[in-house]
Amino acid sequence: MNKRQSRFFAIACTAVAGALFLGLTVNSHAQFDKLTNAHNITAEVNVGNKAWHDNNCINCHTLFGEGAYYAPDLTKITKLRGEAYLKAYLRDPSKFYDEQKHRRLMPKQDLSEADISGLIAFLEWVSNVDNQGWPPRPILVSGATLPGSTFSEPQQAGKTSDVSATTPLPPGARPTTSADDPIALGENMFRSANPACVACHSISPGVNLAGPSLAGVSARTEALLASPAYTGQAKDVAGYLREAVIAPSAHRVPGDMYSANGVSFMPSNYGKDVKPEQLEALVAYLSSLK
Amino acid sequence: MRYKSQSVAYWYFAVAMALFGLQLVFGLLSAAKYLGPDPLINILPFDVTKMMHTNLLIVWVLTGFMGGTYWVVPEESRTELYSVKLAYVQLVMWTLMGVATIIGYFFRYGTGNKLLEQPLPSKLVIVIVMLMFLYNIGMTIRRAGRLTTTEGVLLGGLGLAAILYVPALLHYQNYTVAIFYRWWTIHLWVEGVWEMIQGGLMAYLLIRLSGADREVMEKWLYVIVGLVFIAGILGTAHHYYWIGVPGYWLPIGGVFSALEPVALVGMAMYAYSAIRRSGLSHPNGLALHWTVGSAVFTMFGAGLLGVAHTLPSVNKWTHGTLITAMHGHAAFYGAYVMIVLAIISYALPALCPGRSEKGSALGYWAFWLQLGGMFGMTLAFATAGIGQVYLERIMGLGYLDTQLKIQIHFVMLTATASLFTIGVGLFIYDFFRYPPQFAVRSDAEPELPLLGAAASN
Repeated sequence: MNKRQSRFFAIACTAVAGALFLGLTVNSHAQFDKLTNAHNITAEVNVGNKAWHDNNCINCHTLFGEGAYYAPDLTKITKLRGEAYLKAYLRDPSKFYDEQKHRRLMPKQDLSEADISGLIAFLEWVSNVDNQGWPPRPILVSGATLPGSTFSEPQQAGKTSDVSATTPLPPGARPTTSADDPIALGENMFRSANPACVACHSISPGVNLAGPSLAGVSARTEALLASPAYTGQAKDVAGYLREAVIAPSAHRVPGDMYSANGVSFMPSNYGKDVKPEQLEALVAYLSSLK
Repeated sequence: MRYKSQSVAYWYFAVAMALFGLQLVFGLLSAAKYLGPDPLINILPFDVTKMMHTNLLIVWVLTGFMGGTYWVVPEESRTELYSVKLAYVQLVMWTLMGVATIIGYFFRYGTGNKLLEQPLPSKLVIVIVMLMFLYNIGMTIRRAGRLTTTEGVLLGGLGLAAILYVPALLHYQNYTVAIFYRWWTIHLWVEGVWEMIQGGLMAYLLIRLSGADREVMEKWLYVIVGLVFIAGILGTAHHYYWIGVPGYWLPIGGVFSALEPVALVGMAMYAYSAIRRSGLSHPNGLALHWTVGSAVFTMFGAGLLGVAHTLPSVNKWTHGTLITAMHGHAAFYGAYVMIVLAIISYALPALCPGRSEKGSALGYWAFWLQLGGMFGMTLAFATAGIGQVYLERIMGLGYLDTQLKIQIHFVMLTATASLFTIGVGLFIYDFFRYPPQFAVRSDAEPELPLLGAAASN
């Protein structure tokens, strides 16, 4: 090959690859609206999109797996956390996580209520974009799908009896006070009640451990309450969840792995071991799992 | 230095060095934040330090490219620059823009669009400066009537870099579409036209340093450019995984980005065979270290570590983890930082006559400390990333809990980054140790074949 031929090679490669790339770009444009549900890009989504950029979120978080790696991916966050949780979180992240425990914390952002609603709408739109099913498994912010893996050693040894200031907390849990947001308190209860809820229930969709996944439990309950097949006593989501915690057999999920002869396998000690205010916090947290 | 106007390169290099130092300050701060807790959380949070770290990199590397071009073009075209004044005006505008943008970032005055955070006024100044630069270089070559292949490739890269910045100026309402076009700038820069610039500078250096035959070197330069583009343009598809674009980008990304290392392996072979054949005739061994080092480290960082997570079936699990940071650091350092340090090391003895042409002992310390430090940082990101992928993505441990379990890798990252910083500090100190003196050499250079003449061969 002489220099003239090699120059031709360079130009031809570039031209062919460039032409193919442009062709595919045109074709992609024809599909963008459908894949991204562009008709759902409302004014509120645009407010959120702007807030996302104005607050430089991308330089800690990832969205569609793109951004910085200092904070969790948020592509499907609205599928894991309900609106009530996200609103409370965005108002003050330090109520949910402890910098001393996690070694990092989201700084409190200067967000208006409109920005917060917009961000949640924007993230909800993102979560519905057809992106080839990524991530293949849910990316959790905290906690684990594997029981026990977030526990401290004393907890693994079953030495905790109730939640108090002296109780060793899992490495990922933050100490809470009664002044905290009920959802945050409830999340803490979810990890630290005895036995811990998280030992048997994941909050990942489709990850069923000893107990069924609680992902979307609030929305599912709502649908159940509305359906004619429902014959239980509880009249609202909170009531149903409260009952499900203290009297597990009252609301059973079908399946031989969860119950036998009408009796749920879930421990029934929470009615006496969990204080009423702790139960309310737990219910607030579970209600936020939309 | 054969042409007086080549002295403008010194000031470009000096600005690049200062910004390089600043980049590392924010890099180290960001690494420390991974260890946490962060006492600066409300003053200078991670998003700001990280944005400054990456933006300073882009600004100083481009400054280095422009300085390198102002050094190379007079020699290749055998003439003084068209306008020295324009080159200085351009440098002042560029530097002011860079500093103002960074100060704005302290107040989060930016677009919040990864790597393209520059606010619109800064972007417009960037465009104007690039046009001034291309005009100055273009007029120089036109006046001289000599265009060699090496400078043609270099200029082609710089011109396309300016054109590809245009999509970054536009606003897209659909977030997925915005990502789609963001990569036209970022990917086609770093895995396309910047590689042209790297290739052009490398060809220039190898011809000077090894005495390799220009005809042969330039012939292979074209082959490398062809390979870069056939894989690089369609390789953009590996940024189109999982973002809401049609599924056919997945196999296209897999195939073409797996081909991307071919050009990089070619470049390493190109550099190695040039020094083998010629028997190292040039005294500046330090510049040769940087030149060959750049080719080899690019093959490792951009090529090997890129392929490691580019197939869709792998990327499905590694996407958005520290694996990307591993690849990013090694690739940028090898391909762009090292080539700029190579051209600086080559030009410096001529710009500062006080220093030895062979390169100083300090210069060699700077080389090896940087190399060792960056290799260690790459390993720290890799081990952290592998841990993250298994714990978080495969086993389903929460993000925050995972980050706590891979803390030790952040300790290693900070330690090796400190080593790297010492190496950079030595390089910067060595750069400013001798004052510049712009004396012109009078001996004639051997006759250069021209692009037009070469084409008729």
